[in-house]
Amino acid sequence: MLKIENVGFSYPSGFRLEEIDLEVTTGSFLALIGPNGCGKSTLVKLMSRLLPPSTGKVLLEGRELASYSTRELARRMAVIPSENHFEFPFPVSEIVAMGRYPFLGRLERVSTSDKQLVRRALRLTGTEQFAQRPISELSSGERQRVLMARAVAQQPQLLILDEPNAHLDIKHQISIFRLLQKLNQEQGVTIVVVLHDLSMTAAFCQRVAVMAEGRLILEGEPREVITASMIRRVYGAEVAVERTSDGVPLLSYRPDGGS
Amino acid sequence: MSRAGGKLLVLALLMLASATLCLFVGPVSDPDWQIITRLRLPRVLLAILVGFGLAGAGAVLQGVLRNPLADPFILGTSSAAAAGVMIASLLGLRHFSALYSMALIFALFSIFLVFRIARTAGKTPVQTLILAGVILSLFFNAVVFVFFSLFFKEEYATLFFLLGTLTQGEPVRIAVSGAIILVGLAVTIALSRELNLLTQGEEAAQHLGLDVETAKKILFAAASAMVAASVAVAGMIGFVGLIVPHMMRMTLGADHRVLIPASALGGAVFLILADALGRSLVPPLEIPVGALTAVLGSPYFIFLLRRRQQAGEF
Repeated sequence: MLKIENVGFSYPSGFRLEEIDLEVTTGSFLALIGPNGCGKSTLVKLMSRLLPPSTGKVLLEGRELASYSTRELARRMAVIPSENHFEFPFPVSEIVAMGRYPFLGRLERVSTSDKQLVRRALRLTGTEQFAQRPISELSSGERQRVLMARAVAQQPQLLILDEPNAHLDIKHQISIFRLLQKLNQEQGVTIVVVLHDLSMTAAFCQRVAVMAEGRLILEGEPREVITASMIRRVYGAEVAVERTSDGVPLLSYRPDGGS
Repeated sequence: MSRAGGKLLVLALLMLASATLCLFVGPVSDPDWQIITRLRLPRVLLAILVGFGLAGAGAVLQGVLRNPLADPFILGTSSAAAAGVMIASLLGLRHFSALYSMALIFALFSIFLVFRIARTAGKTPVQTLILAGVILSLFFNAVVFVFFSLFFKEEYATLFFLLGTLTQGEPVRIAVSGAIILVGLAVTIALSRELNLLTQGEEAAQHLGLDVETAKKILFAAASAMVAASVAVAGMIGFVGLIVPHMMRMTLGADHRVLIPASALGGAVFLILADALGRSLVPPLEIPVGALTAVLGSPYFIFLLRRRQQAGEF
């Protein structure tokens, strides 16, 4: 689906991403983890073409990302950024309908099948009960689900999310991840998600890629990757990693700092 | 007819009604046919066109900048266009094409500047946007006043022009400004879906398949052209682009497919009535319409600012 080949990028401030190689296979559910400032969001921007790589290339279905038109790209890839501000009181259903934009011709109106897809997206994300309310009146958890609905309406093959859990309580975090899991398993949507919560990563994601200081240092299944020694080395934090009965890593913290 | 279409029709009828009514309002209470057709009709027509231009441009700027406090007057676009007009006449470029070109170039330049100054990390926060706008208007106003005090003999007419007036509309200028404003408005209405996407944030709009840079360039150019054409014929009439789109958004919602035509019609109504008020308050004297809109608009702006502060949006 998405292949990152020897990608590098440098900011004017001097921070650099170097020699990133990563393949996101079709149908996978990959978490991107790493400490603050390690370059996760930059990598997401490179994957979604908000930034052009200074070296190497990013390929989507074998074609270089730069060769897609903005519209072509939006038909294949949906991105949910970490920060959202809604300055204007658009009704939720209008915002979700914007997910159909890449499929519409100039001045073409939204068709019946588009409307059906919008309704389906509202239903899947549980946002139909506030479909007619202005987004500016909703809570942050509800807004996050509206953005998920917009992405679902976009019918992407690849969905990229940058910290969808920020500002959400545990119930909403779980509901977002259940939905991602459903999209992944039932509709075959490939998912890449930037995460801080390692237990959540272990519970929901099939693969995990670890970044540190602008490099990708590890990639594999959560049960291989998420270990106390990795966390000590990458994050500089002391935690104990236990296992659930079926072997899924589970973080446990000690108030005294020991482990 | 759709609900939105019905609302726009009501606004259009309201505009026609106020236009007709205001033909009979003025210092001469029993006007003859000459006064109506020669003096008042061009003014009402000009009020409609300038109302279209300023309120339409205001709605576009608010959308692209994602900022409900944007307005061509507050952002310094109007002052810049006026400076362009003054400099053109100073250089002896009396032909209207030179005048309009200068107004447009200055308007475009000022929008580019205000955008560059106010933008930090991909966003244009309210405070920096307003500050940048105020400083640019002060600058361009100063330029205008320097030229005014040094070179202009026809003080009264120029002063009225600076304050904003609908009395200096020669037929040629009304026609040229009208054509530019209507084309600008048509372009922005055609791009209203794109404008809706832009209000979701530039990155989000790009992820939804919009060519953000192109859309922004076209919209800024259309807004600048509407402001320049309005200023070239009627001077600096402030706050129409702030008050009208804001009220329309509160009553009709944020969808630009409705908001832009509604703002244009609302701007026309607002200017027709403000101009009629200006010429009937203290007959036989006139208060320039731009002075009236500023007296009405500044408190409204402060009210909006206070409300945002209370809502914790600063």
